[in-house]
Amino acid sequence: MRLHPLTTLAAAGSTAVITTAAAYLPLSLAVITAAVGLSARGGTSRRLLPAAAAILVPLALSLLVLHGLFFPEGDTVLAQWGPARVTAEGLSFALNRAAQLCAAVLALLVFSFSVSVPDLVAALSAKGVHGRFAFVLASTLSLLPAITFRLERIRQAQEARGLVIRRGLLHRAAAFRLQAVPLVSALVEDAATRAAALEARGFGGTGPRTSYRDVPERPWEPPFRMLLLLAAAAAVAVRLLLAGD
Amino acid sequence: METATALAAGIRSFTFHDDAAPVLHNVDVSFHPGTLTAVLGPSGSGKSTLGRLLAGWLPPGAGGTLEGHLTLARTTLRFEGQAQDPRINPAQWGRRVGFVPQDPRAILSTVRATVAEELAFALENAGGERSAMLAAVERIAGLLGLSGLLDRHPNTLSGGQLRRLAIGCAVITGPEVLVMDEPFASLDPAGADELALLVGSLVRQGTAVVILSQAVDEALLAAQQWIVLDGGTVTADGTPAELIAAPQRLPAGIRRPGVQRDTTVEVSEAGARNNQADGQGAASGPVLEFRGVGFGYADRPAGGRKRRMGAGDVPGDQPAQVLRDIDLELLPGEIVAVTGPNGAGKSTFLRHLNGLLQPTAGSVLVRGRDIAGRPVGEVAQTVGLLFQNPRDQLFERTAAREVRFGLDRRFGPHEAEARTGAALAAVGLSGAADAHPMELPASGQRLLALATVLARRPAVLALDEPTVALDGDGLRFLDAAVRSAAAAGAAVVLVTHDVPYARSLAHRLLTLDGGRLAAR
Repeated sequence: MRLHPLTTLAAAGSTAVITTAAAYLPLSLAVITAAVGLSARGGTSRRLLPAAAAILVPLALSLLVLHGLFFPEGDTVLAQWGPARVTAEGLSFALNRAAQLCAAVLALLVFSFSVSVPDLVAALSAKGVHGRFAFVLASTLSLLPAITFRLERIRQAQEARGLVIRRGLLHRAAAFRLQAVPLVSALVEDAATRAAALEARGFGGTGPRTSYRDVPERPWEPPFRMLLLLAAAAAVAVRLLLAGD
Repeated sequence: METATALAAGIRSFTFHDDAAPVLHNVDVSFHPGTLTAVLGPSGSGKSTLGRLLAGWLPPGAGGTLEGHLTLARTTLRFEGQAQDPRINPAQWGRRVGFVPQDPRAILSTVRATVAEELAFALENAGGERSAMLAAVERIAGLLGLSGLLDRHPNTLSGGQLRRLAIGCAVITGPEVLVMDEPFASLDPAGADELALLVGSLVRQGTAVVILSQAVDEALLAAQQWIVLDGGTVTADGTPAELIAAPQRLPAGIRRPGVQRDTTVEVSEAGARNNQADGQGAASGPVLEFRGVGFGYADRPAGGRKRRMGAGDVPGDQPAQVLRDIDLELLPGEIVAVTGPNGAGKSTFLRHLNGLLQPTAGSVLVRGRDIAGRPVGEVAQTVGLLFQNPRDQLFERTAAREVRFGLDRRFGPHEAEARTGAALAAVGLSGAADAHPMELPASGQRLLALATVLARRPAVLALDEPTVALDGDGLRFLDAAVRSAAAAGAAVVLVTHDVPYARSLAHRLLTLDGGRLAAR
């Protein structure tokens, strides 16, 4: 049986908070390894790693430039160009920060790539989260697939009318020029018709809502989630206390 | 004494905000509990607008200017087209009046992952008990033949299955009034029978059922009342018997069984020459061949190149094998009709003709050449495909631009213009060249999509459910276009759930069932 989506959300969130608060390189590296391992096991690594790279590579590079070159507390100078000094301390600080960031981002990405969106939405409404919020969340998480689906249909319609799209990213990008305007107008059109349907089906109501989808959870999951949240809060508290000393 | 009405409307005029002329005027209708009413009218007569107005999907004020009144459950709301007019709460209204829109996809919430959850959506919003929801979903699914599809994603349903789902979504809350816009379109005979039974049982339970239709479907003969809408106003009403006895009171645009089928379509020699399929030389050998074609969705795209997906495909969520060992030869000038139940794979079959889907076994040959690996756009120069849903086919800003898409590049501006004009004329849309495709009535959208195919004069015409949404006039244009294309040497394959239509037009009738194609 799968874990309850709120349990995985709590696990990912608390892992991100604890690694950030701890700022301890071995822990960060352990979390990175675990996250990559989990995603490989779940079969999501092919989608997850490019997404992670898109977020993390620019961030890590900027950390490296910022702390690696300009770290006033650094003593061990490895190289120097004018005001910019590469120090061992600066590099190690940048590495630490980058590892922390990687760990937090990967933990959250593993969650968002593995969670079943319908389960999450159902779980949230079962916990009393407002239906509109749950809908916005579901729409956001399903926006990309919806756009891809629409785009695919427009592309098929154009191909069926003789638009030759050859294989390869460049050809597709060139063809996208013809698809962008129809895509936007189709999405706007969809949104307008959907609004009427949603209202008429009682979606705007403020009364209590129930959920058809049953998201089972094991008895130990709610206390475990509480434990995770407490651990995250404790990590932040300890961090603040230490910083205050 | 007047009997209680479930829903009534007295519309002096209803005008969309952008329009000068009213789309509805002098429409007085009332619907009584436990009755079936058919609102008949050709495409563009204002049926869908009336339906959406009655169902609260087009609230006066926000949706347009209404002068007149609406009465629901003994409460009458009067509208003068002023700011202080009463406002309709669509949720409250929707609880009493169910609506099935003409495009069944429009009713879907789009955030529910299975057919069962989509059915339960309105019950969830009303805070229904889970056990009651499970029972209701099971009951409605049983009535509408959706039981085997409850765990499928709505995006993976065929056109006919989607229609059943939309009807299910509307009836599951047990509204007092049920308004359905063209519910029989795209339903196979079994689906139409199931719907007729469902309507009968709803009427017996006291529901006021209103069916908007541009065709006199068999089930409508059981109606207590027919209301004829033409040009935005009521032109006739009475019992079915009265109106059938006076056929001149029904506009020609309304499809009547057995009437338009035998209309002889004049295909002039000049017309046929004009439509000569491009590159069509002396007829020799098949223009299209299927050799042992099989297709299945079983292979999840775990890695490597993503396979081409048909509209609505979601990987890993489909019946494993859709097509099995299909052999077919198509000669120039031949019209072949493929029929089969909803969800049999008819659209999947048709998408193999131009390579939008690639077979997982066997091969498809166009003019003797295997199309595997060739870009769809290239094959499309020989094979023109009319999609099942015109909204999937139309994407431009005007009807003329829509037809002309890609023609300039292939034929040059002079010829492109001539072809665009001829194709629009062939479907009777010359006057709508500057209209926005999405603002055309459903029949017009269908015909425009057909014009985009005709303008290329392909050697093979592949038509997916071409009769759906066409009114009587539209059907005559379609008939003429198909016959004249075939007379000019094009091979035509049409898939349809409408067996009588297929029989009236085709030289050969095939059935697709269980993934296999067989002569009927």
